[in-house]
Amino acid sequence: MVFPKSPKSSVCSKCHAPAAVFLAYAPTHLCGHHFMEMFEKRFRKTIRELGLIKKNSTVALALSGGKDSTVLLHLLSDLQRSLPFKLVAITIDEGIANYRSKTLIVAKRECKKLRVPLRVVSFKKESGKKLDEILRADKSLLPCSVCGVFRRHLLNKSAKEAGANLLAIGHNLDDMAQTVLMNLMRNEPLRLVRFGEPLADDEKFVPRIRPLMRAPEKEVAIYAMLKGFKVTFTECPYAHSALRQEIRNHLNELEEKYPGTKIRIFNSFVTMDGWMRKGIGNGFAGQKFKRSHCKTCGEPSSAEECAYCGIISKL
Amino acid sequence: MYLLLNNMKKKKMSFSGSITSLLGKLHLRREEVVIKVNGKIVPDDSRISGSETVEIIKVIFGG
Repeated sequence: MVFPKSPKSSVCSKCHAPAAVFLAYAPTHLCGHHFMEMFEKRFRKTIRELGLIKKNSTVALALSGGKDSTVLLHLLSDLQRSLPFKLVAITIDEGIANYRSKTLIVAKRECKKLRVPLRVVSFKKESGKKLDEILRADKSLLPCSVCGVFRRHLLNKSAKEAGANLLAIGHNLDDMAQTVLMNLMRNEPLRLVRFGEPLADDEKFVPRIRPLMRAPEKEVAIYAMLKGFKVTFTECPYAHSALRQEIRNHLNELEEKYPGTKIRIFNSFVTMDGWMRKGIGNGFAGQKFKRSHCKTCGEPSSAEECAYCGIISKL
Repeated sequence: MYLLLNNMKKKKMSFSGSITSLLGKLHLRREEVVIKVNGKIVPDDSRISGSETVEIIKVIFGG
């Protein structure tokens, strides 16, 4: 999209103060104050409209110490003033050299500041090996697949141990749109539906909530900067190998040309999600949803043995 | 103007025009960066006259 020629500095559409942000999909200019107000309102609206957090719940936050989960930590901590619920944080230390140690410092510092109890769970302690070691030992493994499987497993397990009935994840709008496209490209409709809400109640599975799902990633970064959160913007050394990276690049190019692309992809998913769930009882696209538990660890799994135990057994 | 890219060394650059053109010149995606002009976050559709210090911070990475 080519913006019309604008003056050197634009003004906020609400108060006429100098603007800090231009929301091309709206389209509107906002100053820092009104941008933060809009961002926080959208967060609370998402929680309220979707009934994500009930009174007296225990929410475990997956806190990496990156911008998204740090912003979510602050927003959830702030929400506790008007909605009584318990908040705990879980940080997974994958064991990625020169990456996780930086964000771990942020996670510990912010939790201490907000008095949120933090539990650090490491791949090394739980499985005997760091991610770097696992990948060095078996070159055929895809970094993001292994990491995702381990993280999901350990987060669910740790959230249960912390007595949580909800697991909050810092996924933003960009993550949501990327995941929708990835699952469509891989023809994995069941995975796409499971990405919404759990298909069936399972006492061993802690339901996930994504309160930032309507917030574009760039806006999360701007919010963190305007609030003065000391987060670091770093890249995972394994990120280049992922299909997600390619989709991210294409989506960002499309968003520039056609503002609102990401939110439209997400809204389409929300609409389709309802239709797809209706089809599941009768078998869906040749795949039938099966609820079971891993024969080795007892965690929820769609197969006899979960992916985590499958990888562990080969280490 | 002075350009500061991802906390690297500040360098002098001759440029005036829109931030969109500047990002295009540097092969950067607008969706992945936040721009500060003279220390303040500015909208992506702002224009630069040539005398400012422009900081480009890449905020979107994988992982």
